[in-house]
Amino acid sequence: MKSLRILRGYLFTIVGIAIGVAGLVALGAMSERIVRFIEGGDRFVLGQISVAGRGMGMGTGFTAGGMLPAATIRAIAEVPGVSGVQGQVMLPLDPSTSQFMTLTQELILGVDLSVPSPNRHYRTLPLRAGRFFREGDRRVAVIGASFATSRGLDVGSHLALDDESFEVVGILERMLTAPDRFVMVPIADARAQWVAKDRLLRTVLASGAVPLTAADLNTGAAVGWQDGEDPDQVALRIRERVPGVNVQLPSELSRLLRSSTAFFSALLAGIGVLAFVIGGLSLANTMAAAVFERIRDFGVKRALGATDLQLGREVLAESLAVTLVGGLAGIGLALGLGWGIDATVARAQQLFHFSPRLLGGALGFSILLGAAAAAYATARVISVSPAEAIRRGA
Amino acid sequence: MLRATGLVKSYRSRSGAPIRVLAGVDLTVKGGDLVVVTGPSGSGKSTLLNVLGLLEDDDGGEIWFEDARVSSLGRAAKSRVRGRYVGFLFQSFLLLPSLTALENVLLAARYVGRSGAPARRRAMELLEEVGVTDRVDHFPAQLSGGEQQRVAFCRAVLNDPPLLLADEPTGNLDDANGAVILGALRGRARAGAAVVVVSHRPEAATGASALYRLRGGVLETS
Repeated sequence: MKSLRILRGYLFTIVGIAIGVAGLVALGAMSERIVRFIEGGDRFVLGQISVAGRGMGMGTGFTAGGMLPAATIRAIAEVPGVSGVQGQVMLPLDPSTSQFMTLTQELILGVDLSVPSPNRHYRTLPLRAGRFFREGDRRVAVIGASFATSRGLDVGSHLALDDESFEVVGILERMLTAPDRFVMVPIADARAQWVAKDRLLRTVLASGAVPLTAADLNTGAAVGWQDGEDPDQVALRIRERVPGVNVQLPSELSRLLRSSTAFFSALLAGIGVLAFVIGGLSLANTMAAAVFERIRDFGVKRALGATDLQLGREVLAESLAVTLVGGLAGIGLALGLGWGIDATVARAQQLFHFSPRLLGGALGFSILLGAAAAAYATARVISVSPAEAIRRGA
Repeated sequence: MLRATGLVKSYRSRSGAPIRVLAGVDLTVKGGDLVVVTGPSGSGKSTLLNVLGLLEDDDGGEIWFEDARVSSLGRAAKSRVRGRYVGFLFQSFLLLPSLTALENVLLAARYVGRSGAPARRRAMELLEEVGVTDRVDHFPAQLSGGEQQRVAFCRAVLNDPPLLLADEPTGNLDDANGAVILGALRGRARAGAAVVVVSHRPEAATGASALYRLRGGVLETS
């Protein structure tokens, strides 16, 4: 009861701390969100060697480039060190230029289930609901979490892709990276989508000028390497031995990805530092002010016999309680704010990612900083005589 | 109980020039004495009380409690001495606003390791003696000035200190409440405590064993 009363006396301090911590956590959560996005992409590209046909084509994402025929895929599989090759079709869901200009493009990914996923970091993708499609399935789709939310889709819903109806059989867990906006379909369906979207390809196929079969319609391939092999060396070997391919070295692709997101990384670092400084200063200032304004009480307590150590312990205990409550309230405020914005303004997108690391770190940081600020203020307050403290607080 | 010799205390003015407030004060107060110090505003009465009560360091001289020279002690030791030997009563009561009347009284016990049921019992007895039993759960803002000073008096005497220092204890009180507080201070002196009161009120001198006037930084017998 008395503790509650003491905390009530610190109400404005707690509110001040909560606002500082909320700012820190909210900005930190936005940073975490983008970091997760970049890290997810990085993890993906480092888990496989991405190969596309030389030249330009409909393909997009990691397999952008020209068509990769079945014969080339077989040739890649023959390269020493290669453990498996999975042909893929990756297409923009909406091929309009405006969609190409977004960072969060929605993609159709055709997956060939006759070959296990060669990506070492994504052997399977985690499902939130339903199932993954099986070999032989047609007109079924597994969709990313953001895609599902943005269109209000659930398992059993139907999705129209170029006038073809697909049943949603599975929804991926939110991964905070590219697959959140994927529509994954059997590769045969993806090939049909490609033909439907690409007028030039339809014309070529109809003319019969080029002997193409369905198996040749790949925008790229994911290539795995055998244990003990250096993926970059395997990629270089493919580049040397298989003509007509664009081979991305995993490390090179990772570097490219990181350099292309360097601006965001710098921006995030700036936001993080700002959050730290603004939130930290706000918290420290509020806590120190709360101690300074009680200078008279300190003088009275010292007149009653309190030693510096006793006062220090009291202030430390109170500041810990106050920053703990303020910190938790701030975290709650930030969580509410983040969830509210994600649910209303951002809808399908998730702008905030509140990781346990962020929440724990913010709470620990606020408690430590609050205690340090209180200790500093206490040291200042008790440096004057009790009589002076009483005079100043009058 | 209390012996002060040659107490000197100066402050710095804004221009940096020293202002001598105490210029060699000698004072002896025995247990059972009620000593009253008067003097015009700014003469240094409060400073004298603060220095005697170890709330402020002197610039020279000595203060003895019983046979111990306390003016040369370190900060922690002075705090402990204040808690065990000195009770303070201030003009503006100085109750902690976040604590109830009873909690304010018990605050005096907290720092001398004397908490728990006995301290609580004693606090209730004292509050009853001064007639504020029905206000024990009230906060200072809910009490009148007279009630606040009575609570402050209970806080000052909870540990039965042998020395009681009162700085204008009736300055913010009406005559009736002032009389109650002065009566209570006389009672403490009769019970054997050494009591020093700084006051403007002529009635404070009633029953005093010694009356001094602080002038020019030294005590003169009135």
